[in-house]
Amino acid sequence: MFERFTKDARAVVRGAVEHVERAGERTVDADHLLLAVLEREGSRASFALASLGVTGARKESVRDAVAEGRRRAGLSRADADALSGLGIDVAEIVARVEEVHGVGAMSGDRGDKGRWSGRRAFGRDAKGVLERSLRTAVAHGDRHIGDEHLLLALTTGGGVAAEVLADHGVTHESLTRVLYGGGEGRAKAG
Amino acid sequence: MTEATDLAERAGDRDPRVGLRAVAALRRLLEQLEAVQVRSARNQGWSWQEIAAELGVSRQAVHKKYGRH
Repeated sequence: MFERFTKDARAVVRGAVEHVERAGERTVDADHLLLAVLEREGSRASFALASLGVTGARKESVRDAVAEGRRRAGLSRADADALSGLGIDVAEIVARVEEVHGVGAMSGDRGDKGRWSGRRAFGRDAKGVLERSLRTAVAHGDRHIGDEHLLLALTTGGGVAAEVLADHGVTHESLTRVLYGGGEGRAKAG
Repeated sequence: MTEATDLAERAGDRDPRVGLRAVAALRRLLEQLEAVQVRSARNQGWSWQEIAAELGVSRQAVHKKYGRH
């Protein structure tokens, strides 16, 4: 599958694995792919994000929101709402666990950096992103899978990554517009 | 225990989409909680056998999931 990935898309996958290694975690999640996409510069995804206003402080805001989601056991707001319907207060649980085990205890960060020397596995949601990026590229008739396809796939995952992106105005619709619909605007202007 | 049963029943009563989402979220929450507690027990010198007994699973299951190879 990776042979069809562009240089930028490969860099995203590698960057996601590096994030996981730095945090001492075991599994590559969609969140890590998103963090790695944010690091790209001069790529199609970074141009798309920039044209949706996600640069500088807004990028930082995305990172903070992802970190917040990870601290909440990787649960999105929609997940927390669903649990709240059952009388389960996720914030309360996280607060109590952190009181005893320290801030970030529920984030999946093992806190013993570097000791896990095994190979990092891609979690189910991260695999889903890779699969959808391939489908998206095929659907648009693109021969290669770029970081923009990974970003598009991240918007439809339904987890923290998709929710955070939507909160920052990056949805499948808005991205598709700037990536594929932008040509018309330029044509009209010219 | 009764609280867990109660939760499970209420999860079943709801709109399937919300109910299923809650179940998936609960599973995720549970996984993280388990990881936190297992790590804490190991740091306090508990054996895999002792941890497994408290969790009600086999020693192999807990070691395979959390042990380093």
